[in-house]
Amino acid sequence: MTLGTFIIKNALRNKRRATLSILSVAVSLFLLVMLQVALRELTNPINDEGSSLRIIVRNKVSLAQPLPRRQLQVIERIQGVAAVSPFTFYGGLYKGDEKFTSFAQFAVDPERCPLLISDAKIPKEQYEAWVADRTSCILGRLTAERFGLKVGDRMQFTGQIYPADLEFMVAGIYHGTADDRNLMFHQSYLDESLGNPGTVGTWWVRAASIDEAPMVTERINNAFANSSAEVRAESERAFVLGFVSMWANIKTLITGISVVVVFALLLVTVSTMSMAIRERFRELAILKALGFRRRELFAFILAESCGLAMAGALIGAGGAWVVFHSIDIQKATNGLFILFEVTPQMMGLAFAVATALGVLSSVGPMLAVARTSVVQGLRTLD
Amino acid sequence: MPETVVAIRNLSKIYAQGEIQVTALNDVSLDIEMGEFLTLMGPSGSGKSTLLHIIAGIDRPTSGRCLVQNLDVTGLNESELADWRNQNVGFVFQTFNLIPVLTAFENVELPLLLTQLDRSERRRRVQTALDIVGLADRMHHLPKQLSGGQEQRVAIARALVTDPRLVVADEPTGNLDSHSAQEVLMVLQQLSREAGKTVIMVTHDPKAAAYGSRSIHLEKGELLKDEAVTAR
Ligand SMILES: Nc1ncnc2c1ncn2[C@@H]1O[C@H](COP(=O)(O)OP(=O)(O)O)[C@@H](O)[C@H]1O
Ligand SMILES: [Mg+2]
Repeated sequence: MTLGTFIIKNALRNKRRATLSILSVAVSLFLLVMLQVALRELTNPINDEGSSLRIIVRNKVSLAQPLPRRQLQVIERIQGVAAVSPFTFYGGLYKGDEKFTSFAQFAVDPERCPLLISDAKIPKEQYEAWVADRTSCILGRLTAERFGLKVGDRMQFTGQIYPADLEFMVAGIYHGTADDRNLMFHQSYLDESLGNPGTVGTWWVRAASIDEAPMVTERINNAFANSSAEVRAESERAFVLGFVSMWANIKTLITGISVVVVFALLLVTVSTMSMAIRERFRELAILKALGFRRRELFAFILAESCGLAMAGALIGAGGAWVVFHSIDIQKATNGLFILFEVTPQMMGLAFAVATALGVLSSVGPMLAVARTSVVQGLRTLD
Repeated sequence: MPETVVAIRNLSKIYAQGEIQVTALNDVSLDIEMGEFLTLMGPSGSGKSTLLHIIAGIDRPTSGRCLVQNLDVTGLNESELADWRNQNVGFVFQTFNLIPVLTAFENVELPLLLTQLDRSERRRRVQTALDIVGLADRMHHLPKQLSGGQEQRVAIARALVTDPRLVVADEPTGNLDSHSAQEVLMVLQQLSREAGKTVIMVTHDPKAAAYGSRSIHLEKGELLKDEAVTAR
């Protein structure tokens, strides 16, 4: 026998309790990791350089109010603007989808797009084909794969925001953006089917540099102040976050739930572990009498509670990792979630929580052991 | 001239419980010689356990000194005391206090985990100790698979395995039937007679005391009688 086997035998002496402790840690950490994954998916969808450079300009009144087309010439001339294109959310129902469309479609000006979609990788000839054909579109690889679409295929949409049913020919398939699902087509095609109303949904602007982006935002806002169509320009990131502003509350909610989970877990684990040690109070006194020193007993207690917590973390966080790596989340959630993955930081968090649990739950028993003399320990039953 | 192993000088232990002071030991002086099998007798609450605990280095006196082999045990700090106990004292308690998840062998091996001995040397010592108490054939049994007397003998083996000078036992037969008690007492007697250990045993059973070589009576913390046991 070694001290290690001694610790393991002690930890597992009450099989049911050990299992319960491990499982409670495991379930809670699994939940914690899931919540972290969801939080990341919801609040951090785009975080690349292009995204920081891109600015969305929308009507100050509301997102649903269109903007006049003539603003283009003004925005183009604003200092620090590298590119600008219409950016209109079409929101059509794709024939292949049943109830709601799992990807967004935006009307843009393809010729003005290269800088705006610089992160999208697409063969040159496909891009050129798109620019050349007014009724064509480019499609994110995820959506193309989902519906088995190839270059040359046609896609039909029923207008849900605009009274225009559109049909596109797939001119190209791109990938490499933060969300390779969207479809992009010609604003002029949409305009035409709507009888050229002379408006766009929003403007999509790229600033010349990240440093300049905040100034550019301000300049655009100022340029249309007191005009008939005042605008609100904001970084694409802010826009996306604002667009899903309800997610902001969800973030608070999820963080709240995580804290509660960890706290509940803490209470449960701390009390079970303390109970497990307290039951052996007399034994610890005997060990002391046999010559085990206080620090050796501390080490036993710490090793036992950390061991149980780590076993829980391995099952819970490890389980979450396996689940998220083996399930195709996109398929499972019907394309609603794409980023679902467990990052090393999340695993780190889970194991840090487990370690903290182990340490915290040994504090009580350790204090008790430190305070109790051998004689007191022996008298607890004699 | 026999060697003095334990020299107790003017030992007092006073428990202060709020206003009331309980004198557990009052100015006790005593010499214990090598190879003696000393029994501590007296009514309940007379201070027997307290005296034994101080000698064994798990309790401290309020005043007075306790020298074991010329070392003042009362002067050691916590961790020095722990080491000292590991090397010099073997404990046997009334309730057997074996670790329930460890086999007899592993329970006996426990104190050796604190030493530098290697695996095979530990094994040899554990086997010897179990041989002495006559339980070599039970070494892979868990405590719950043993009778009370056997459990207590395993506890004695655990007390012996580090080859200590001193074996202390606090009412080791208190929870045993007379037959098992006899077995345990014979083992303790054999330890003092054949292995030259100094055995100090608390008991209030005169029949148990008859196995000792010397008997001391305590009452209200004071030493009353000190007599050699003749009927051995
Ligand atoms: N921790 C303590 N606090 C107060 N009094 C104590 C404590 N431990 C022992 N005593 C008292 O000291 C006296 C001697 O106790 P003890 O040595 O256990 O007696 P014995 O073993 O002879 O029955 C008793 O009166 C007991 O109540
Ligand atoms: Mg007693």
